[in-house]
Amino acid sequence: MNGTGPFDIAELDLRGHVCPSTLLLSLRRINVMKEELRAGTARLEILTDNRDSTGTLSDAAGSMGYGVKVEKEKGHYRVIVGRID
Amino acid sequence: MMVSLTQMVPACLAIGVAAGVVMHRSDYCLTATFRDVFLFRNWFMIRMLVLLMVASMGLFEVGRRLGWFAFYPFPLLGGGSLSGLVGGTVFGVGMVLAGGCVVGTLYKAGAGSLVSVLAFAGLIAGSAFYAEFHPSWKSFADATSFPKGNVTLPQLFGIDPAVMVAAIAIPSAVLLYRWGRDGKLVRSSQARGYVQPWKAALILALLGFFSCVAVGMPIGITTSYAKISGYVESTFFQDHFDSLAFFKGMPLDLDVPSSGLELHGGPAPVLDSIAAIQFPLVLGIVLGSAFSAISLREWRVHLKIPPVQLAMALAGGILMALGSRMSAGCNVWHLMGGLPIFALQSFMFLAGLIPGTWLGGRLLVKLLK
Repeated sequence: MNGTGPFDIAELDLRGHVCPSTLLLSLRRINVMKEELRAGTARLEILTDNRDSTGTLSDAAGSMGYGVKVEKEKGHYRVIVGRID
Repeated sequence: MMVSLTQMVPACLAIGVAAGVVMHRSDYCLTATFRDVFLFRNWFMIRMLVLLMVASMGLFEVGRRLGWFAFYPFPLLGGGSLSGLVGGTVFGVGMVLAGGCVVGTLYKAGAGSLVSVLAFAGLIAGSAFYAEFHPSWKSFADATSFPKGNVTLPQLFGIDPAVMVAAIAIPSAVLLYRWGRDGKLVRSSQARGYVQPWKAALILALLGFFSCVAVGMPIGITTSYAKISGYVESTFFQDHFDSLAFFKGMPLDLDVPSSGLELHGGPAPVLDSIAAIQFPLVLGIVLGSAFSAISLREWRVHLKIPPVQLAMALAGGILMALGSRMSAGCNVWHLMGGLPIFALQSFMFLAGLIPGTWLGGRLLVKLLK
């Protein structure tokens, strides 16, 4: 984690990974960070080039009650899970 | 209605490009169909498969009744055999480990996926491995085949295929209508240029139909992988290559009286009818996907991939090639071509594919740390 803002930001780079690694590994990390994510003291930012994950990951994290935001970046997507300002 | 041999190349290239674009845009992954049920209890892609198969069923029946197909049942489809069951299981494990089936591997490789390029290499290597035990596997397939002389269920029961199409398509259409009404045929996505998978399923069904009209058979590509392995093996191990019966086989050997065409081809590394049909399809899917990814500014090669995933992709490719050769076709061939005409061989493949996918999913979860 990096203490770069008002809260910690954990970045998970899953670009190029085999499908469905993005969803599996992201859900595992979300589970590990659930207390900080729920308390709003951290957020998880997942980098993925898996187009499908922009929907499946957002739906999965959203159904768990987390805020989710997807941003398009150069050649990939950034899926932000946790407190969305 | 079949096109000439020289027209087959552009026709198949066009079908491949269209399939590549639409699969990339929708991320239409046949591997996810059963895998996501086991891993995530997500049935969305099952609904897409129902749509794809019902649409294909209807289109194939229309084509058959209008006499637009040079062959019916389609060539290279056989009766049921335990070889299809075992091959389907091996294929199922392989496609989950590789993160995509034989076509998924192509469209993902076209978009710059390194793991899919490795899976492709595995497909070539696996085809060469299969050649080593082809004679004994063929004996097993012949010994366990049933029933002799019948390729499809309607043939077996002696009924008009239209009866079976209607019996399945009508309740399926009601089901699809309900799913559509309840919003279960669409999924959320924030990917740029996203095409909903239901649209992709209908387009793929149409492309499969065009393939049957133009070249007499559904979309299939795995024999071309065997051909590439034959090129490699004959180049570096000529003496050993000469000893392999697999590369001397000619599974496609048909005359088309209506057009004067002759279709001959097999895994031998020569330019035959299989090469004229499958190589342009393979190239088209890669080019279509690459075009789609570049136009969206998403074409990138990422090299920071855990070694275990690289190994999984290679092993998955090898298993997929073994499975497709053992069952005389891949998932695309059986699910999009064989099942819509109720081919017994394809039912056996599906019966093996489902437990194979489950097993592959279990392995995947253990290997992905």
